[in-house]
Amino acid sequence: MKKQFFGLLILELLVLLTACNPKEKIPLVVFAAGSLIQPFTDLEQAFEEKYPDINVQMEFHGSIQVMRHVTELHEDIDIVATADQALIPMLMYEVNMPGTDDPYADWFLSMANNRLAVAYTQRSKYANEITSENWWEILSRQDVKVGLSDPRFDALGYRQLMAFALAQDVYRKDNIFHSFISQQFSKEIHLVDMGDFKIIRIPEILETAKNSHIMMRGSSIALISLLEAGEIDYAFEYESVIKQHGLEMLSLPPTLNLGEEEFSNNYHKVTVQMDFRRFSTVDPVFIGEQITYGLTIPSNAPHPEEAALFIRFLYSEEGQSIMRRNAHPLIYPPTGDQLQNLPDELRDFLSLK
Amino acid sequence: MKNRSFPLGFPIAASLIILFIILPILVTLLSVTLEGLLKTITDESVARSIGLTLFAAAIATVFGVLLGIPLSYIMARVNFPGKSLLAGVIDLPLIIPHTAAGIALLLVFGRQGILGKPFSELGLFFTDHLGGIVVGMMFVSLPLLINASREAFQSVSLELEQVARVDGASPWQVFWHITLPLSWRGILSGAITMWARGISEFGAVVILAYSPKTISVLLYERFQGFGLESTTPVAALLLLLVLFVFLILRWIENSLANEG
Repeated sequence: MKKQFFGLLILELLVLLTACNPKEKIPLVVFAAGSLIQPFTDLEQAFEEKYPDINVQMEFHGSIQVMRHVTELHEDIDIVATADQALIPMLMYEVNMPGTDDPYADWFLSMANNRLAVAYTQRSKYANEITSENWWEILSRQDVKVGLSDPRFDALGYRQLMAFALAQDVYRKDNIFHSFISQQFSKEIHLVDMGDFKIIRIPEILETAKNSHIMMRGSSIALISLLEAGEIDYAFEYESVIKQHGLEMLSLPPTLNLGEEEFSNNYHKVTVQMDFRRFSTVDPVFIGEQITYGLTIPSNAPHPEEAALFIRFLYSEEGQSIMRRNAHPLIYPPTGDQLQNLPDELRDFLSLK
Repeated sequence: MKNRSFPLGFPIAASLIILFIILPILVTLLSVTLEGLLKTITDESVARSIGLTLFAAAIATVFGVLLGIPLSYIMARVNFPGKSLLAGVIDLPLIIPHTAAGIALLLVFGRQGILGKPFSELGLFFTDHLGGIVVGMMFVSLPLLINASREAFQSVSLELEQVARVDGASPWQVFWHITLPLSWRGILSGAITMWARGISEFGAVVILAYSPKTISVLLYERFQGFGLESTTPVAALLLLLVLFVFLILRWIENSLANEG
């Protein structure tokens, strides 16, 4: 009797465990840049309402981290959306899937643009003083707490450093970068400024120094709650994210906000380089350019058809309006790279040649 | 085995569950080479991080002992209305998810928090400072010390204390000369448990103080940023460290049991 009871109990537990997995829904795994968290969460909801058989599973990280999950941790991912489209050719075109001669990706869509800006709140120190002329001086003050995202993990991390380097030309001062960064890290971030060619070098171990007025986190999105809690006074963020959170925004001059196509040549002046091998096969070098988000379906995606369906939804009237509502409009008509490799039905839908 | 006092299936279930505990630890320890381990120990930021973690947990424990012992003694000796409610409050940190505890602590000890703000005017900061690590560790591990000390005090005979009182000793003298010498081992074992729990805390600490990085935060960041290969030796080292603390604890508990 008792034995039977235990047998039944175990059976019941197994039934319960399997019942916990919603019945036969197709999982669609989306890894996206942290700055896409709000629009993509809205998209997820709208998409699942339209396609109840698909369960979208979103995960958000710093853009470099998103790449790592595909090419280094070999996770099964259906869609990758990064805040820097250049990461896709650099890290996915160049890396073959284990045991094959095929790269992790061979096309991407240029999804959206963005601008770099400074986020703050009413109670931030010197909030009533800061302007697009003096921001770099205020952010360098020792009594001002500034949030940075880690340039080793996050696209905004290296972009904010680029902006500081470019500021030296805009404001005609050659110590802007140094006075902001100097003595804030236990190992220095170096800038070599040769006018039209500036190179920033990131050390492998990047830790803020004791009594530093900089607080660093793994991704820019993690700084928002610190800003809201009053832990930091200012943080570098994307314009879309600042608008989504209704924070105060200081716009930066177009010559350094990395957001305007016509200033691309100016952005190209600055390069960020890691002083260590960050990935097993690729040494990442980031060249300043207009901020453009990239989107692709990895070659090893377990559900490529559902992934294509999601991208169609993103570019549909509804998807576009969700992005617009989140202050992050899509680039339309769609463009991208090596689009001849796009899945046929997606290419047809997007009316691409 | 004829006279076995337990059902036949029990040893099987027991072995499975022990394997479940041992296997991950064993696999981690076996997957690193001695060379990798040595390299990790000499890695400056790992060494600094371990030092910081041990130190912060020790400070948390010292505060816990100084402020928690009086409470434990009251809980062991005095009956008052609402006592079981208070016992529940003491246990709260054990059931609150640690990330939620971190956020709650941030609201109190953050730069704009109700305690953090006045403290910051005195130049004492918690977020991204040692103080934040200590507060996070202390909050989640305090119940372990208080409960252990309470049991230790309860095991001291009440009559003994009363006799001393009749002989003219003050309450303080009774506590210092009678109760404490008879209960210190239990308190010590509680303190070491609290220390060990503090060392392993991640959730509350990462929200209050991402840096300076405790060993758990460093481990998490390296896993996120640099992959499994560079993380496993750190994890193995951390396991060895905690196992060592655990052995000390067991040794104290055993000597305690033998004397008792």
